[in-house]
Amino acid sequence: MASVIVCHACDLAHRRDAVLPAARVRCVRCGAELYRTNAVSIDNALALVVSAAVLFALSNSYPMVTLELNGSFRDTTLLGAAIGLYSQGYAPVAALVLLTSLLAPLLEIVALFYLLIPLRRRARAEAQNEVFRLLTRLRPWAMPEVFMLGALVALVKLAALANVIPGVSLFSYGALMVVLAALTYVAPAEQFWHWAEGRVQ
Amino acid sequence: MTGLVTGRALGLRVCAHCRATVRAPGTAPCLCPRCGGRVHVRKPNSLATTAALLATAAFLYIPANLLPVMHMRTFFDVEDDTILSGVLTLIQEGEWPLALLVFVASIVVPLLKILALTWLLLSVYRGWGGNIRGRSKLFRLVEYIGRWSMLDVFAISLLVALVQISALATIQVGLGALAFGAVVVLTMLAAQSFDERLLWDTGDRG
Repeated sequence: MASVIVCHACDLAHRRDAVLPAARVRCVRCGAELYRTNAVSIDNALALVVSAAVLFALSNSYPMVTLELNGSFRDTTLLGAAIGLYSQGYAPVAALVLLTSLLAPLLEIVALFYLLIPLRRRARAEAQNEVFRLLTRLRPWAMPEVFMLGALVALVKLAALANVIPGVSLFSYGALMVVLAALTYVAPAEQFWHWAEGRVQ
Repeated sequence: MTGLVTGRALGLRVCAHCRATVRAPGTAPCLCPRCGGRVHVRKPNSLATTAALLATAAFLYIPANLLPVMHMRTFFDVEDDTILSGVLTLIQEGEWPLALLVFVASIVVPLLKILALTWLLLSVYRGWGGNIRGRSKLFRLVEYIGRWSMLDVFAISLLVALVQISALATIQVGLGALAFGAVVVLTMLAAQSFDERLLWDTGDRG
């Protein structure tokens, strides 16, 4: 069974010869990625998760943007963006913004810690399978890169009205966006199972 | 498709959660031996679910574009901003690259998603066999660009948070933003529930 791999996108069966340490294998018919493995260690991935956690903490501890007009200041945090919508009676939109900008990246970081730390000790997290499935379900809803561009649009619009001062959080969130993208590239789902099955017998 | 064998013909299916190849004859759902998720031969009720989500999204696309997403009150005037008028304001201010960005992300992308998914659904219903690779490329494009429609929702959320009760201006969210957010979520869910393999099944059966 392990010698056949079926394409998730077009159902074509392929013979799986050998798993190379670093390879990107595509379906011969539809071009979808069958699997990708990297020559990275769990420690490499965990280092990225740690940086993501630090950047996430920074992004939520400082203001994102400050507005200045005639000496009066007003600022907002990442969370403030969702709160503003909520306080105006748009709870569903607030929930959507909260999920995509804050909650999904946070859960992604927590889930990766939960999955990877036991693997390092050749063990397996108690709810490994449930958390893994939650992680794959969550990933499409984390949109830090879209939020950054949205912030850019908002800043340009506000620059016509007042003085706009970018905050620490804007930069740390931009860096978080890069680290999360790197993590998705370096440790795709297939890589996780490669580690998990290699370690736990 | 001589020489090519499908997973279904071999009694194999792919886990939607972890993409493990699972051996299970028949069509009843089974559990993935690797990640424990439920594995189906094809996504259950894929066409009907996608069609229902898509129809709702297409309906809400109208208020999303016609209703104001934002009411802005400054010293000088009161302004109701729809998505399109927001783009026009950016052009007037000379920010045409940003105007183009918002136009593409907020108006073109949702429309393209709705039209493309409708066409893909139709092609599966009718069993069209031609250019399957092109259609599967189109589906992947739609799946990839969908998230970028959130751009304007994020921009509005920051504008509201910053200018809510300040002396210089007031910004109120408009109903258009609610419809627009719903369009983004519904089209994303529609793309997720569409089973790409249905495009290929037509050719594989014939």
